Amino acid sequence: MTAVAAKPAAGGAMNPTAMGVGFVILIILLAICWVVAPVDSRLMMLYALIGMVVGGVLIGFGTHFVPVGGAPAAMGQAPGIATGVAMLAAGAGLAGLFGGAWAAEQGTVVAVVTGAVGGGMMMAITCMMVNFIYVFGMGIPAASGKVKVDPITGDTQPEFKSQGTEGHGLPFVSFVGGVIGGLLAGGGGTLIYLMLLDLYTATLPTMMKATEAQIMPIAISAAGIFAVGMFLVNAVLTAYNITGTIEGPHDPKFKRWPRAIVASAVASALCGLAAILIVAM
Amino acid sequence: MTVKIEVIAGGIPHTKIMVAGIIASLVCLYLSYLNVVTNSEMFSFFGGLAVVAALIWGSNTIKVLCSYGIGTGVPSAGMIAFGSGVIGMLLATKFGIAAPIVALVLATVIGLILGYLSNEVLNMKIPAMVQSLTELSVVGAFTLMGFAVLMTGGFTFETLIAGSVTFLGVSLPSYQVSFIGGCLIATAFMLGALAVQHPFNACLGPGWTQDRMLMLAAECGFLSMFVAAVMSFALITTGSALISLVVALVGWGYTYKHYIGLSKRDAASWLDSKPIPDVEGH
Repeated sequence: MTAVAAKPAAGGAMNPTAMGVGFVILIILLAICWVVAPVDSRLMMLYALIGMVVGGVLIGFGTHFVPVGGAPAAMGQAPGIATGVAMLAAGAGLAGLFGGAWAAEQGTVVAVVTGAVGGGMMMAITCMMVNFIYVFGMGIPAASGKVKVDPITGDTQPEFKSQGTEGHGLPFVSFVGGVIGGLLAGGGGTLIYLMLLDLYTATLPTMMKATEAQIMPIAISAAGIFAVGMFLVNAVLTAYNITGTIEGPHDPKFKRWPRAIVASAVASALCGLAAILIVAM
Repeated sequence: MTVKIEVIAGGIPHTKIMVAGIIASLVCLYLSYLNVVTNSEMFSFFGGLAVVAALIWGSNTIKVLCSYGIGTGVPSAGMIAFGSGVIGMLLATKFGIAAPIVALVLATVIGLILGYLSNEVLNMKIPAMVQSLTELSVVGAFTLMGFAVLMTGGFTFETLIAGSVTFLGVSLPSYQVSFIGGCLIATAFMLGALAVQHPFNACLGPGWTQDRMLMLAAECGFLSMFVAAVMSFALITTGSALISLVVALVGWGYTYKHYIGLSKRDAASWLDSKPIPDVEGH
């Protein structure tokens, strides 16, 4: 095995054929949902699946904004938060999801906004503490290695960048990117949860011949675990798209987002269909 | 970097581990059906053994995938394994006795599509990607199903959602005291996701040896089984839960002792790995 020689070749190139195939798979999955669903609840299930696809796309797109630094960032050799996408998603995104779940009774809009605010706030706190540790603990200034001037504040970057590194710390634009990413991902995760929760509370009582109050634990728990699963799938797929690290919205890798939109949409439709089939069959 | 490649070449071939993992997990899951045949819950511990078999297979798959330096860290592989696995597993439980086979098929389909997305749409172009994500998805589904069997004694949807509480000596049905209703599935999710990614994450490097990693995987599996067995006291009879607990403890003690032995063996010898290799980062 030539594992060492074969480095990931995930360049910026798009693969139009594969994107087309992905789009076709998405349509097929939506069609399967329409055909398999019982006639009287067809529209509701298709609506739920589309909601989950939108949620998944929001997660995939939002993750591109989050400054993920990985192991190099932990050594102060690259900008960003010093951990992987999977950890950041589980920490910040799920915080938003849980926040939104608390507000589920207040209606879809309020709950999604609550989830978004929860995710954004968690990211804001994380970014701030990361910079605290970088600046006061490790003694390094914030400097981006990808741009000469911070797109928001206009501060110059190269003077502060140490030689031999790709930049370090968390420049202002990365901080803002992190908060936007938290907003989108938290809102997307909450949307998936709400769609499944509404679907399960509507269908489980007849399926299990029980009252709505009795099946509530099942509905909440099943919707929650599906939302967590879909969240992690979307976050890891996006992590593959950016090969693990990104500085924020100003990073050249950010331009790869169309690929992640297609991948997240198909993956969410696939997982969402499985979640719907549990009550549709 | 020649050293690393030599080490990778040794050990049991991955195909062999994969086939053994599938067969051992399926057989263990079906052996738990003795619960229904004998109308008891004594054979729930077979679920835990299925978990251990699936985790050993999964940790070797993660090794194959992460040797390519995917850049996202080893834990992300464990997360996507269980994220896709939980979806296939929950749908499969609707199929009654066919559930383990259906879980295998569904997880394979989900994993194949996710592998295609990563390799073609996201342009990863990693040779082992499709097969590894497919395998990991099945590992996730089998592990969760194993935990479900261990905690509830069965793998059908009805068993996973139904529980009972004893109130003033009367047994009442309650959906809250169940694998899904009590959200024990979330704990099982994290127990499995950590156990499948930890062995390679802990053992990787120039001194990697396959037997040590697989022994650590078995140890992680039995440790997770122990925690799950403690939780199973809430859902199955005390005697059956005690059997699972003892099996987990004995298995953990055995694998832990051997893992420490293997660690000492590998630590006593040393490998002349080159200084920092001049291969580009990501």
